[in-house]
Amino acid sequence: MTLTLESFIAKLEEEIDTIPKGSLKPDTNYRDIKDWSSMHALIIIALADTDYNAVLTGNDLRSCNTVSELFNVIKSKIA
Amino acid sequence: MSTAFHLNNKIILITGSTSGIGRETAIKCAEMGATMILTGRNTERLNETLKALKGTGHKSIACDLLNEASLKDLVSSCSQLDGLVHCAGLVKPFPVGFLTKPKIDETLHSNFYSVVELTSALFKAKKINDKASLVFMSSISGQHPHKAGSMYAASKAAVEAFSKTVALEYYPKGIRSNCISPAMVKTPMFDAASEGMSQESMDAHIAKYPLGVGYPEDVANSVIFLLSPASRWITGINLLMDGGLLLEY
Repeated sequence: MTLTLESFIAKLEEEIDTIPKGSLKPDTNYRDIKDWSSMHALIIIALADTDYNAVLTGNDLRSCNTVSELFNVIKSKIA
Repeated sequence: MSTAFHLNNKIILITGSTSGIGRETAIKCAEMGATMILTGRNTERLNETLKALKGTGHKSIACDLLNEASLKDLVSSCSQLDGLVHCAGLVKPFPVGFLTKPKIDETLHSNFYSVVELTSALFKAKKINDKASLVFMSSISGQHPHKAGSMYAASKAAVEAFSKTVALEYYPKGIRSNCISPAMVKTPMFDAASEGMSQESMDAHIAKYPLGVGYPEDVANSVIFLLSPASRWITGINLLMDGGLLLEY
């Protein structure tokens, strides 16, 4: 699947249902997502694996703050 | 003084012996007098563990337990065994909503199918001596799952049921079968499992252990007990090792 920032944001909004559709922006700090928890981190790791064949680590997550940073890390790891 | 706390004259096969709990258990068993047969996928790392063993007569057999031919070779090149320790396994956190057959297979093949296949093949080939002791590495997750750990927990619960069945079927030969269920132990697998957790949530989890987190040698000591004549009257149990984690539950 081709990865664009827009499609990635749409995916996140679909998988994490506490995010109101259209509210996630590239510069949103993903930890500010409503009711953010470790489960959401696990969902992002699983999403990267399932949809983009990219293996994310906890360190990768810790090193990013915004959605676009997250997107760039995933993009750099696509197998 | 005579003591039943030893592994003298025992030949013990151990899987997953190249790192973590398996490696430490192999080293400690050799210290207690056992002759070890180490197995794992990586020859170089097997040799590393082999070199760390005290005493003589130990050997290593490289084997990919997921490969049928490789498993068959391991069974046929094994000598008669007085003990078998299953430590090989993997942990791949994945939320329920993302599970697919390949993801399910990945964990179950490593943590359950290969454990059953190896055990069964060794019995079939009559490589397990009377009065032998089998130890299966389960996890506290088998009874107390964690988020994204459904397949890991399921594989460990399955191993626990399997171990009890082995205990039932083989007690007439004096063969014993037991599980150990550790909570958090500082190993490379632990590091992999903690991926995805923030440092804060990890610290919060560790704080729940009255006796702190465990170390591979803590588990190795219990494996030795279950392999030794000192546990002669124990079979079919699942030894929980949790540093007090579940005291308040």
